[in-house]
Amino acid sequence: MRGGAIPLLAWATLLVVLMAGNWIWTGDSVQVGSFALAAGLVYAFAALLVAWNGQALKTGPPPSEDEPEAVPEASLAAVLVGLSIACIGFGLVWAGFLIYFGAGVLVLSLGRVVLELRAELAARDALKARDAIEEPRP
Amino acid sequence: MSATTTAAAPGTRARPGGWVGAATSTDHKRIGLNLGLSSLAFFLLGGVFALLMRSQIAQPNEHFVSDNTYNQLFTMHGSTMIYLFVTPMAIALAIYLVPLQLGATGMSAPRLTLTGFWVWLSGGLIMESSWLTADGAGRAGWFSYTPLSNGTNTPGVGQDLWVMGVLLAAIGMWVMGACVVATIARRRAPGMSLLRMPVFTWTELASMLMVVGAFPALILVMALLFIDRHGGRIFTGFNGTIDYQDLFWFFGHPVVYVMFFPYLGAAAEAIAVGSHKRWFGYTAFVASIMLFAALSVSVWAHHMFVTGGVTNQYFAFTSTALIVPAGIEYFDAIATMVRGSLVLRASMLFAITFFVQFLIGGLTGVFVASPVLDYHVNNSYFVIAHFHYTLFAGSVFGFFAGVYHWFPKVTGALLRERLGKLQLAIMIVGTNMTFFPMFFLGEDGMPRRISRYPTHLGWGTLNLIESVGAGIIALGVLTFLINVFVSLHRRVPSGPDPWLGHTLEWATPSPPPPLNFETSLPPIRSYAPLLDLRQREAEGARS
Repeated sequence: MRGGAIPLLAWATLLVVLMAGNWIWTGDSVQVGSFALAAGLVYAFAALLVAWNGQALKTGPPPSEDEPEAVPEASLAAVLVGLSIACIGFGLVWAGFLIYFGAGVLVLSLGRVVLELRAELAARDALKARDAIEEPRP
Repeated sequence: MSATTTAAAPGTRARPGGWVGAATSTDHKRIGLNLGLSSLAFFLLGGVFALLMRSQIAQPNEHFVSDNTYNQLFTMHGSTMIYLFVTPMAIALAIYLVPLQLGATGMSAPRLTLTGFWVWLSGGLIMESSWLTADGAGRAGWFSYTPLSNGTNTPGVGQDLWVMGVLLAAIGMWVMGACVVATIARRRAPGMSLLRMPVFTWTELASMLMVVGAFPALILVMALLFIDRHGGRIFTGFNGTIDYQDLFWFFGHPVVYVMFFPYLGAAAEAIAVGSHKRWFGYTAFVASIMLFAALSVSVWAHHMFVTGGVTNQYFAFTSTALIVPAGIEYFDAIATMVRGSLVLRASMLFAITFFVQFLIGGLTGVFVASPVLDYHVNNSYFVIAHFHYTLFAGSVFGFFAGVYHWFPKVTGALLRERLGKLQLAIMIVGTNMTFFPMFFLGEDGMPRRISRYPTHLGWGTLNLIESVGAGIIALGVLTFLINVFVSLHRRVPSGPDPWLGHTLEWATPSPPPPLNFETSLPPIRSYAPLLDLRQREAEGARS
């Protein structure tokens, strides 16, 4: 995690410099707006990384972590989220009922993804608790 | 591998086998393979479209396909290659290889990555399904300028399916790109600082930052075009047309570099490993690639010089400035080989060819970065030649450098070297026969996207050479497919590290196990930890 936001911030700042050049030279609002959208998205991504973990702004190599990790092996729900979004898009072109069908599947599959994520967190907590018990007492 | 305990999440069922298992797996290697293989299938389809197009214009006054079909073919050829092959293949390489190079057990947000893949694949299938409609497939070009692409001038469901397909494919690629960035930011192994990341990972980071920053412009413009086509009247008049082009090319030029950097990274890895040396000028390379990526987001309106709707000086300046980072990369590639112990395997030869062929595309890019010269060649075959030298002669050769380099890691089997070198020779001949004459035709005034031309213009001979060249390229691709088939059916086991690789993916068995690494990682003190290890062992043996 350490330093993860730094290249994003550096790159977005380069974009801002180029945007300023574009603004001065062209004064075109659509062009400046496009630049601002791109730089803003990358800044927002960096901010998210920092909010997740403050180490994202620190330089140096990532240290060893002893945090346990739960790894998903498969997720039908994630596949269904993707297919339902496509179903809605296809419905917009082809047949209206697919929009409602897709929306229904999207809600159900997102619900399932939330359950999977909660189970993942629970598994991680259980591993943490197990590690705490197994640690030798001083 | 970080010193973490890992376990399968109990809320998720044990991974099913077979097709269902492959389709629902959240393992980054499986998702990367699925994306790569799907992209490859689209590449073959796009290649068929190209062959059909070349058959139509091989000779003057040809009537192999109708004008309308020809419009559909060039639209779907460009769209398939850009939205469904070169760009997603760059993302597939990232999804498969970046976690391995970082020493991570997997991707950040693996479910989101999986969702992104399915949205992209659905988008691709929806786009191609437009062939099945009564109006035919999308036919307004891969950039579908308005007013040509609006509901009045290109009516019908086929074009709507094209718009929706591009929209969904872009959303899927954006999601996957964001997941790759998050993985690089969050999942590096202990000891791997930013300046110890492999060259390939840096090129992927630069590419995926462009995906995150620039692809929303495509998503936005396709959504607006869809609304426009259904009576929204968004892109009206001269300003509306210019606004569409501005938004489209804000995506459309960065994507050229998204389709270039990862293949540059693959070629760089192949050259460094094939030279048995560290990549020369690592820090300068990293700085140049980040500058290159930022500059490439600022050059888009050089596609619009002739419109009269943009400030040409700014875009000519930024476009020409691209020479600086590009020069650093060429310098680094050459300097890496100087005094190296070169082993000219297929991957290395493809990588060298990548740099040579791309140079033609790059130098002609300097020509068209000048508005005065661009006025002369705009919308001609000169431009077609230029971008095919960057995207086909460049990226595809870099892609094959990567395939020959990493195929043993992915499958555990070596590709046949002789067939690889034969494929390279065939593809060099085919590529230059197909695309080099286009410079002369373009200079002579042959416009792009014409379905036939009269005899008296004298374009027949060069067009025939190009069409034969396209057939030779197809032969090269066939040689590759035969090589894959033979190598997988009569396997020569590769072992974990057949090339004496530099980076962490070579520190694990081939193919890698589910959580990537079975043993602890070597100490990471540079971008090439395995090379460090070998050098320390050699020094230890000497002393």
